[in-house]
Amino acid sequence: MKTPDTLRPGERLFALLLVLFAGYAFWESYEISGFAGLTTGGVMPMLASGVMGVTALFILKDALRSPRAPDASPAGVIAYLFPLRVVLFTLLVGLFVAVIPSLGFLPASGGLLFVSIWALWRKGPVWALVLSLLSVGAIYVLFRVVFQVVLPLGSLWR
Amino acid sequence: MMETLGYFATSWTDPYLLLITALGTFAGIYIGAIPGLSVTMAASILISFTFKWDVNEALALIVGVYVGGVYGGARTAILLNIPGAPSAIATALDGYPLAKKGLAGEAIGLSTVMSVMGGLVGVLALALAAPLIADFAIKFTSRDYMLLGIIGILLVGTLSGESFAKGAFAGALGVMIGMIGLDPMTAETRFTYGSINLMGGVPFVVAMIGFFGVAQALVQLEHIDTAPIKQKVSRIIPAWSDVRRYLGLGLKSSGLGTMIGALPGTGGDIAALLAYDQAKRSTKNPDVPFGEGAKEGLIAPETANNAAVGGAFVPMLTLGIPGDAVTAIIIGALYIHGLKPGPLLLSDTPHLFWFIVGNLTLANLFLLVFGLTGIRIFTKVVECPRAILIPLIIILSAVGAYAIQNNPVHITWALAFGVIGYFLIRYGFQVGPIILGVILGPMIDANYRRAMIGAQEDIGTFLYDLLSNPISLVLTCALVLMFLNQLPFVKNRKRRADQRV
Repeated sequence: MKTPDTLRPGERLFALLLVLFAGYAFWESYEISGFAGLTTGGVMPMLASGVMGVTALFILKDALRSPRAPDASPAGVIAYLFPLRVVLFTLLVGLFVAVIPSLGFLPASGGLLFVSIWALWRKGPVWALVLSLLSVGAIYVLFRVVFQVVLPLGSLWR
Repeated sequence: MMETLGYFATSWTDPYLLLITALGTFAGIYIGAIPGLSVTMAASILISFTFKWDVNEALALIVGVYVGGVYGGARTAILLNIPGAPSAIATALDGYPLAKKGLAGEAIGLSTVMSVMGGLVGVLALALAAPLIADFAIKFTSRDYMLLGIIGILLVGTLSGESFAKGAFAGALGVMIGMIGLDPMTAETRFTYGSINLMGGVPFVVAMIGFFGVAQALVQLEHIDTAPIKQKVSRIIPAWSDVRRYLGLGLKSSGLGTMIGALPGTGGDIAALLAYDQAKRSTKNPDVPFGEGAKEGLIAPETANNAAVGGAFVPMLTLGIPGDAVTAIIIGALYIHGLKPGPLLLSDTPHLFWFIVGNLTLANLFLLVFGLTGIRIFTKVVECPRAILIPLIIILSAVGAYAIQNNPVHITWALAFGVIGYFLIRYGFQVGPIILGVILGPMIDANYRRAMIGAQEDIGTFLYDLLSNPISLVLTCALVLMFLNQLPFVKNRKRRADQRV
């Protein structure tokens, strides 16, 4: 991680992005009702985005004053923010969300659990399969039976 | 008197009600503890299938889940650094460092005893001082609620994280997320970009699941190869000396929690944060610094949030105004059963009031039993390899987000919030203020506009009102002091003074 006074890789760029985002948020807030009055729907969003803008400028100022991170190169930033494991797992979760409408919640959950436990735990596919099935069974009992949540079924099975 | 005692003991003497209360409390602990599940969500789902039950049975179950759930949120805060509920955000600040030191069992044991103490103080306040507290709460005006909301967000921003600017940014971001949807006053769309789904707004549970559940899971992927923390749970029952030592702090935090809980719209989350802040200020020489495993930092929020439960019932039962989200759901349950919470409820249906008081007391006693006996099994959860736990957290987060309104889009939102939260956490931001912003943002917005309308849209009158009303003045001063405390020269002076001590 970082020592109190040094920056994390990419922290200055992140602070700059926050300033830009706050500016965009303020503009979008202004678009709601402009400066038409003190009780319009846009006042609180403008106040909140204004606070975001001011604090983001302070964050940027602090970032510019602090010494650079030891590895502030693009490769260092990518290594810090996007470790391969996080990227692949996020993509897998994205795929899980994408297949829920067709596969249904429980089969999609089973798939995500199986692949991720197999890849992350590295104890072999049998353990991963057993744990995935047990977990899916527990989720079914807890949510479908106990809480009566109607989990998405999936278009493939209709 | 005997009649009142009879009402009070209804759920103690009826075996069926006794069982339902026990089941509710037990389930509440685990619902509150499981990341992705919330007591609000559970209570709202329970309403849907208990409306055919007798009102006492429905209330016994929901009250049990409520009491257990508020406490249960602390467990994951201590063991996983993932607060199960907003009221456990402050608990994680010192609870998790204690767990990392191998003192998870002791931390949970102490938090259990103190939670029960806080809960009982809250119930006592509900029973004895309900009319007085309600009288005080009713004096609060819109601008006071607005100030209280802002203080709540800034408080968590200053308490956690590495800088005030980052905390305030996160809080304001949360308020922005809370603004998404139709403006409740004018039905104007705000940040919906033409999406029908966004018109209904972002449920705070979805944001909470995303920022706490998914984001933490992504951050923890980095540590997947590290051995899981083996929690030392050799002593579950806290030492009597510890209980005696922190009794004063517990009672003080309980009083504060009850007061905050009794303020409509506020709940265990603000109570816990204020109690943590109060403990931090009043404890001059803690054995361990705050944020590194100070027991005071664990006890104060835990007693306060459970005390807030009793407090939250005060405005609900006497004024018909919910103290927090769960009491709002309970109001719905009472309406379903043909009862109208409000000033007449106490005089027309005293049996209901005393039944709730008795049931809350009973649920707290069950909490003590289940809280102290289930720790060993529960702590095994953190010994589960992260490679199994992380995918499970994602699945629970997905089902939790979906279950709020049976809307699959909420799963996507929770995951999107998770990715945003991941980047923010990597750059030293805390996600607690974001969640409080989402929850309190709409309340601040509505109360600001009411106050401004009351001031005839004149800024001068609005500012004069802030300074001329005693309650508003105290809250404004508190807010100004919070800002002043963050000024560099004040911080440097305090640091120098601490070094001298």
